[in-house]
Amino acid sequence: MRLPRLNKIVWIILIIALGAAGFAWVTAGHSVDYNTEIKPIFNKKCITCHGGVKRQSGFSLLFRSDALAVNKSGKPAIIPGDPSHSELIRRLTLKDPEERMPYKHPPLTDDEIATLKKWIKQGANWGDHWAYVPVQSTAVPKVDNWLFGTSGGGSWVYNDVDHFTYQKMREEGLKPSAEADKATLLRRVSLDITGLPASSSLAGHFLKDTRTDAYEKLVDTLLSSPHYGERWAAMWMDLARYADTKGYERDDWRSIWRYRDWLIHAFNENKPYNEFLTEQLAGDLLPNPTDAQYIATAFHRNTMTNDEGGTDNEEFRTAAVIDRVNTTWETVMGTTFACVQCHSHPYDPFKHEEYYKFMAFFNNTRDEDTYDDYPLLKEFHKADSVKFLQLKDWLHQISGNREKELIGFVKTGQPAINSIAADHLINSALTDTKWLVLRNNGSARIPNVDFANHSQLSYRYKSWKPGGKWVIHLDQPDGTIVAMVNVEDSKGGWKISSLPLPVMQGAHDLYFTYQNKNLATPEETGMQFDWFFITDPFPGKGLKGYDSAYKYFNDLLVSKQVTITPVMVENPKELFRPTNVFERGNWLVKGKLVQADIPQSLGSLPANAPRNRMGLAMWVTDKKNPLTSRTIVNRIWEQFFGQGIAETLEDLGTQGIQPTHKELLDHLAWKLMNDYSWDLKKLMKEIVMSATYRQDTKMSKDGLEKDPFNKYYARGPRVRLSAEQIRDQALTVSGLLCEKMYGPGVFPYQPEGIWMSPWNGASWKKSDSCDQYRRAMYTYWKRSAPYPSMITFDGTSREVCTARRIRTNTPLQSLTTLNDSAYIEMAQFFAYRMQALGGDDLKKQISKGYELALFTPITPEKEMIFEKLYMNAYNRFRSDEEKMKLMAGNQKEKQTPTTAALVVVAGAMMNMDEFITKN
Amino acid sequence: MSKNNERIFEEARLKNLELATRRVFFKDCFLGMGSMALGSFLSGCNWLGSKDGTAIFNSDNPLLPHAPHFPAKAKSVIYLHMAGAPSQLELFDYKPDLMKLDGQDCPQSLLEGKKFAFIRGVPKMMGPQANFKQRGQSGAWVSDHLPHFATVADEVSFLKAMQTDQFNHGPAQLLMHTGTPRLGRPSIGAWATYGLGSENSNLPGFVVLTSGGKFPDAGKSVWGSGFLPSVYQGVQCRSEGDPVLFIKDPAGMDRDLRKASIDAINEANRMSYDEFKDPEILSRISQYEMAYRMQISVPDVMNINDEPDYIHEMYGTKPGKACLANNLLLARKLVEKGVRFVQIFDWGWDSHGTDESLAIDYGFVNKCRTMDKPVTALLLDLKQRGLLDETLVVWGGEFGRTPMQENRDGKKMPFKGRDHHTEAFTIWMAGGGIKKGMSYGETDEIGYSAISGKTTAFDVQATILNQLGFDHEKLTYQFQGRPFRLTDVHGRVINEIIA
Repeated sequence: MRLPRLNKIVWIILIIALGAAGFAWVTAGHSVDYNTEIKPIFNKKCITCHGGVKRQSGFSLLFRSDALAVNKSGKPAIIPGDPSHSELIRRLTLKDPEERMPYKHPPLTDDEIATLKKWIKQGANWGDHWAYVPVQSTAVPKVDNWLFGTSGGGSWVYNDVDHFTYQKMREEGLKPSAEADKATLLRRVSLDITGLPASSSLAGHFLKDTRTDAYEKLVDTLLSSPHYGERWAAMWMDLARYADTKGYERDDWRSIWRYRDWLIHAFNENKPYNEFLTEQLAGDLLPNPTDAQYIATAFHRNTMTNDEGGTDNEEFRTAAVIDRVNTTWETVMGTTFACVQCHSHPYDPFKHEEYYKFMAFFNNTRDEDTYDDYPLLKEFHKADSVKFLQLKDWLHQISGNREKELIGFVKTGQPAINSIAADHLINSALTDTKWLVLRNNGSARIPNVDFANHSQLSYRYKSWKPGGKWVIHLDQPDGTIVAMVNVEDSKGGWKISSLPLPVMQGAHDLYFTYQNKNLATPEETGMQFDWFFITDPFPGKGLKGYDSAYKYFNDLLVSKQVTITPVMVENPKELFRPTNVFERGNWLVKGKLVQADIPQSLGSLPANAPRNRMGLAMWVTDKKNPLTSRTIVNRIWEQFFGQGIAETLEDLGTQGIQPTHKELLDHLAWKLMNDYSWDLKKLMKEIVMSATYRQDTKMSKDGLEKDPFNKYYARGPRVRLSAEQIRDQALTVSGLLCEKMYGPGVFPYQPEGIWMSPWNGASWKKSDSCDQYRRAMYTYWKRSAPYPSMITFDGTSREVCTARRIRTNTPLQSLTTLNDSAYIEMAQFFAYRMQALGGDDLKKQISKGYELALFTPITPEKEMIFEKLYMNAYNRFRSDEEKMKLMAGNQKEKQTPTTAALVVVAGAMMNMDEFITKN
Repeated sequence: MSKNNERIFEEARLKNLELATRRVFFKDCFLGMGSMALGSFLSGCNWLGSKDGTAIFNSDNPLLPHAPHFPAKAKSVIYLHMAGAPSQLELFDYKPDLMKLDGQDCPQSLLEGKKFAFIRGVPKMMGPQANFKQRGQSGAWVSDHLPHFATVADEVSFLKAMQTDQFNHGPAQLLMHTGTPRLGRPSIGAWATYGLGSENSNLPGFVVLTSGGKFPDAGKSVWGSGFLPSVYQGVQCRSEGDPVLFIKDPAGMDRDLRKASIDAINEANRMSYDEFKDPEILSRISQYEMAYRMQISVPDVMNINDEPDYIHEMYGTKPGKACLANNLLLARKLVEKGVRFVQIFDWGWDSHGTDESLAIDYGFVNKCRTMDKPVTALLLDLKQRGLLDETLVVWGGEFGRTPMQENRDGKKMPFKGRDHHTEAFTIWMAGGGIKKGMSYGETDEIGYSAISGKTTAFDVQATILNQLGFDHEKLTYQFQGRPFRLTDVHGRVINEIIA
């Protein structure tokens, strides 16, 4: 432990005080704290064999009730109040190595044993882990004002944040740094809030603004920039595992970019975080959900879909549901829940069964790993959007009670039964495990279809030859015939058709048979089904407007003027899917039936909460939920400072790294919920307005030694930019950035041979003009082969949720910014800008370029470095026209040795550490 | 770079390293205070499994060579994965009794309660579509599809009772290489690089080469770093285009100018270091220097043109093409230069019989031809250079193929093919401390299921790590609140094939 420098008298007083306190501690007063003194011993020495995974001799230390229970030996290991008769203590202190615990490991130290004894004596009380206790209002530590000196002298504090950090600095013997200069702050806060360097006009304005609130004005401007939404959506996309493909082997295209755009809008609108979460978890369950609220639920449709031939759809549906559970915990509640899949949590208070109770919230949606990613929300465009409104109006007028059903079906295609539900296949098959196909004299069953007094079956099918005869029998392969259809040949294309059904109640099995004399062989496929929809005939026959409304209805079902997005749709009650515990995590071994619930150790569902995703969202966003606010505060802090207050963003549990400033975390979490009503911009403003954030990043020898990783924030955050920021910044300084927002993923330059997925002919086609230069977050994201330069800078493939990117520093990164053609082009345009601003004066060109990149004047020494490089390059290009042209770029008028040499300089500048780092 | 700068840089680098190392030592080491030797330092302090992820992750040099848990038998691994899963029944697992059943309906007992990717209803049995002979001293059964390999059968240990529980390519490949059928875990090469660091600082420690025109079905995740820092992921080297992405200088820039520009960047960065004293800047300086060296060393090692004619003849190379033969020759060059883990994927072994190229009696035979000669050459070439003893070569697929003929969707297929099969397949290992002329594990008389000496992906992983000097239960990384390892809670070192 390092002691702060204090004068002698203070030391003497301190020593006396500590001595007295220590005496009192040893004799009686000290009450042993479970969390800080006992749990660490258990976790380190005992819990591997006596925890949630293994329970040797039946003994577990996970819950108090387990630990005090009678074990296989017939007696309890811990008797509260009586350490000398507690088996735990006896076994820790035996001499016989066969009996002494921990078995085959070094014994506990005397201190540890004494602590345990004392704890048992005091009643063996269990304590709750800090992160599992509801957030309380935390007092701001009082630090005397005169102590707020920087190493440069003067007052330092700006807001509450600083009181917390300052207190810790003092404990660690550190002094805060002075405020960074304006140019550095400008670049830092712009990159942090908008992900881009400030525009020239904003920069010019701020650097000239001498008013005391100039910085605050800058922060407000940045927070209201539309680029703010893009930058924070990009962060959320790692958590939401956003990608433009379905993943797994075929890794085919998926249209889910509307969700990305929803995120941008949500951040820009400053949607309160509790609503932001509610819409993503359960937007479809809100009363009369809007399209946007449906699209928000695509959050959990970013799970992967397996199109590989021969895959079991239920297996991958289950995998997706499990991913939703794990992602919800990791993203929203900073907790690693995945291990509870197979057994009770080894360290944290979550029981095996509780995993499946939680899974039950998510297990009841319509998606079933179908090829088309059903259910899909349709947003109609152009003429079809008008048709849609007219249809809606008309239905509303003539039939209030059918409007909801039919409009719901037009918009989401639900509730439909997917043909992959078929079984009892005889000369029929689930082809490629994607669709039911029938062959000549084939039959199949659709089990358990609830008719509920409906009288029509709509279905989507394909056929290849005329003459098909499709018969539907009730409950038996040769049961009552309920429909007999002479199938209209669809000539290999999909077609939607309907047939009348006798009115029936309850659930029935439907047996299909199929015959077609025109099929040459028994192997030839006659008919293929996609889905079935139990409904009633279109209403209002005979009424005015029926014909056009019915036509619109049918047109819209096959509309091409449409954007589709996979969304969540809850199963109707006839399709309710029960949830069982999976024994040892194996989805094929189903155990006990469970009901949706949250883990007991984290409280209970709010009283009025339904047991579905909406109820879950209510609990997640309840102020009593201990994890939600802490997790988002920690995450946002990490985005500004490069590390979380608790470093393990993904795990605030007992095995995560303890927070360095727990009180600060709780203070901000409380404030976010209560004072700021979940307003994230206010939270961010508080962080960037703090003196802690505004510090200079220069490291002193002392500071580096005492705190090499800046965990105590005695200097500003200095971290390498993210993959997205690196590309966006380079685009900005080169002037190439296309500020267009929203829309499908784009295809910037990428080398050949990156996309080679089996059974997938897709290829990377470079976008046209502006779209090549869009912000990184719009880059088309293929999971199995993501954009290489971003992966090199620690971007993630987004197959599963990534709670934290681990920064690396590798030669492959250097090669990317040195040689990637995308960066060479940016260097060329950067050089042209330097020429435009600097005229013919080389020194001016270089200094203008440097200022464009870093907002601050270049030092003469650095300027010399680039001048020297320029001369070197210039002399080469003067005598080598061919190389000169290649370096200078495609534009004829730019092809001069001076330009080519300046491109080399521009490229070098874009590789400077200070350029790819936030200072 | 000037001498003076070099000295300053080195001093600072060491200081920084010292700082990082000391932090690790004090934070996580409570046992081996006296033992400063790196090996015992690692084991005594459980450095590799330390709680704080940043402790092992030394940002100054994440690929610093480390000593493993115990002396290694293999310095490097070449893992040949035939993506799509080659048929064991046409190569190594000789089943004359299956021939007798050829064309008969598959007995119900083999179908009840079983699931197949494409077989539906009752398929027909299909006898071996190849002639077999016993080879060499060991008498190993090798089919005529592999005439060259037959001559080196005495060099290898076969595992004939491999089993898996994944019957789709993607998940099965992930299981083979990352220890789980789902995404998100590090690959075996990433684990090895994390554990051992890189011996040659001018080359990546873990190199991936692909052929067959496609990536493996599971995509880049089979050589990904999962939750480990991305520096440990496999670096894909390519026979076409840039050998490593962005390794070539841009058009118009020659080497000297590149050198001058890196010198300028580093000089500017040193000024930044003087100003900010951030050790990360020093690290960046060294990465730019390494990038420059890699620009020379990677194209150099990836260039096979300088190899003598007899070597080209031996492997059957096709210069300029992304083919298996070239990749196998490259694998030898890479391990010679100290690359730890070379992962080779050759796509196109999925012999369903859906078309000619995937017919077991046509396309498959061609695939065997493109594989047979160069794989044999690799073993002989390593041997003649004295490298086979220290290089572990592993060959296999992600699962096996059914003794039944595939009847996709319950129909007769246009060509002869076999479906995916989880209950039996063959892989082999050679060199790197593995027994020669050994065969371990047996399947039943028709090759449907393993009956003795069963082994799994986890066992293979445990064995590979063992040969590299690791206890697979101790090579861990703290993630999501618990130590993770490649073999999760499974895995047994297959001692039966270890020399």
